Amino acid sequence: MHTEAIDPPGITWQRVSPKYVTVRLVQWAIGNVAAVLVLSLPLVFVQLGWWRWPPLWLAVTVPAATLLLAIWRLLLIPRQVRAIGYAERDDDLLIRSGIFFQRTMAVPYGRMQYVDIGVGPVERGLGLCTLKLHTASPGTNATLPGLPAGEGARLREQLAARGEARLAGL
Amino acid sequence: MTADVPGHGMPGPEAPAAIPAASGTAPDGEWLRVHPASPFVRGWVALAAIFFFFGRDMFERMLQGRPVFEQELAGRAPWLVAGGGIVLVVTVVGFILTWYFTKYQVSEGYVRVNSGFLFRQQRQARLDRVQAIDIVQPLLARIFGLAELKFEVADAGESAVKLAYLRMDEARQLRATILARAAGVVPDPARPLEAQPEAPEHQVLSVPPSRLVGSLLLSEQSFFVVLGGVASVILSAVTENRGFYFYLIPAALGLAASYWGSFNKGYNFTAAISPDGIRLRYGLLDTQAQTLPPGRIQALRVSQPPLWRIFGWYRIQVNVAGYGILGSDGEASPRTTLLPVGKLPDVMSMLALVLPDPGTPEPGRVFAAGLDGLDSDGGFVTTPRRARFLAPLGWRRNGFAVTGTALLIRSGRWWRQLVMVPHQRTQSMALHQGPLARRFRVADLVLHTTTGPVAARLTQAGLDEARTLFDEQSARARLARKRQTTEQWLAAVGGPAVAVERAPVVEPVETSPAETPVETNHQQEGTNRG
Repeated sequence: MHTEAIDPPGITWQRVSPKYVTVRLVQWAIGNVAAVLVLSLPLVFVQLGWWRWPPLWLAVTVPAATLLLAIWRLLLIPRQVRAIGYAERDDDLLIRSGIFFQRTMAVPYGRMQYVDIGVGPVERGLGLCTLKLHTASPGTNATLPGLPAGEGARLREQLAARGEARLAGL
Repeated sequence: MTADVPGHGMPGPEAPAAIPAASGTAPDGEWLRVHPASPFVRGWVALAAIFFFFGRDMFERMLQGRPVFEQELAGRAPWLVAGGGIVLVVTVVGFILTWYFTKYQVSEGYVRVNSGFLFRQQRQARLDRVQAIDIVQPLLARIFGLAELKFEVADAGESAVKLAYLRMDEARQLRATILARAAGVVPDPARPLEAQPEAPEHQVLSVPPSRLVGSLLLSEQSFFVVLGGVASVILSAVTENRGFYFYLIPAALGLAASYWGSFNKGYNFTAAISPDGIRLRYGLLDTQAQTLPPGRIQALRVSQPPLWRIFGWYRIQVNVAGYGILGSDGEASPRTTLLPVGKLPDVMSMLALVLPDPGTPEPGRVFAAGLDGLDSDGGFVTTPRRARFLAPLGWRRNGFAVTGTALLIRSGRWWRQLVMVPHQRTQSMALHQGPLARRFRVADLVLHTTTGPVAARLTQAGLDEARTLFDEQSARARLARKRQTTEQWLAAVGGPAVAVERAPVVEPVETSPAETPVETNHQQEGTNRG
């Protein structure tokens, strides 16, 4: 499919660490493997003759479809991670994500109320962190996952300093 | 009790100055208590429950001429009475203690409240952070001439400061003082105790009860009621099952309650303007008086359900930081309604209050086009023709216009809506595009605003227009933020006298030739490569 990026032209995006793919893979595995296993249970029971319902075709189709979807999502993960980007402009931070469903967000430094850094167990093993920006609006869902820890800390300090310089009220 | 630690936790450079002022030398920082009757007004339900629980049985027996206590219980009667008495005494003592330990103080740019006797709480809020200040009178409090004062800061949860109850004139006095201090009026150092006069106001509009009733009857809700009623009648006719009628009874009761609620809340709605901001008053049994200081409205929506079009009625809702979406009772808060129902001139005058500088030479035409216009009248840029299959009804209406001070987003062919976000209130922005939208080269632009009923989303704008708007809106918001430097509105506009009779346009908006106030047509021609 022809994909034209929606973000404003002439911006050099900084990409997140490719190691973030691993984090996503772990998340994928936890979610999807469990789902496929649970949905396969009726098939096992039907095969063993414990259950009369559902019919065999249904017992096969549901886990198979789930598996296909899961694999599809798995294949998308590297692309999705590559699509995440951020750019520090003079007055705001741009965050983009997604390929099919694209989103580009601009968060002005003066509007930031606080900045969170979160590190999960897998991320810690890989030396990554997740940065989250909060404004007065709950709609600002600005999350930057998969930053190297050093870059995350630098960005946080940078954002805090710039936010202070440009602080506006509500 | 705690008056000797007023500077506790106070941040910033004001702290050294504020401590000596508040620690008793200046009567300005006097600690006051709420009205002694207030716990009883607030807790009357508890008292009534106690009396009901212990008293009803005895009362019935007395009426029937039987002995007050049953024979087998007679021996234990003293214990029962004592038990009831103890519960009553504990409740009343609790009330009194709560009252005794609740104190408030207004001083040096802060309002402070101490409360609780087992779990102490000290709270202070900066006056210049006030987002709204409300005086609420529930029915019982109104009978006693009491009122509750609510002070909202930008925290969508509970009210920052809630003082229940004060005498009505005290509450108004306190509101005037808080608003004056928040506006930047410096108290006279010689007589700091002197009360600030209430800012003069003049009424802008009121909603007659007949129109309120009409608006309720023609609301979206009624539309679905009629639909549901017809459906159940048809169903019972077809299936010959009378059971469907029975569903109508509880539904009707619920509806009556909800209509009554809306009527009770919206009754006698008046809006007035004063230098302290917009004053709204409404309520039949419970009355409320809201004050929204200038510039506190984060986003605004004018909407018109299909049936209201018959009479040309509109409704205005706003996002105000601190109000949130839900009221204290969990229902949609009436506090976010700026105008429950009004005609076009009412809408225009409210818009003029909210946005004193519309940033365009002909605000009437632009707003009118936003309310019921189509295509490009009023300078709106709509969904491009190529995307008409995505919104077969709305594509000629979904659009945006930019003035020097606000972004207008219009949508809906049947359920008409106009959303307005002042440039200086834009928090953050996002462009969204799904696969289908990409196929038609359109994108959605979402402006993030504080919690409230208004969501500012521009749907299916042409990709180039959306991208340009995204860029330019960032720049405009940045400029507007720079221009707005103070939270104290009198300092911003130059004085109380100026604030009321201010000319519609105070300062010419800095415009470059390319940035005429309504500039969108120009952009469209410049960037449309399609």
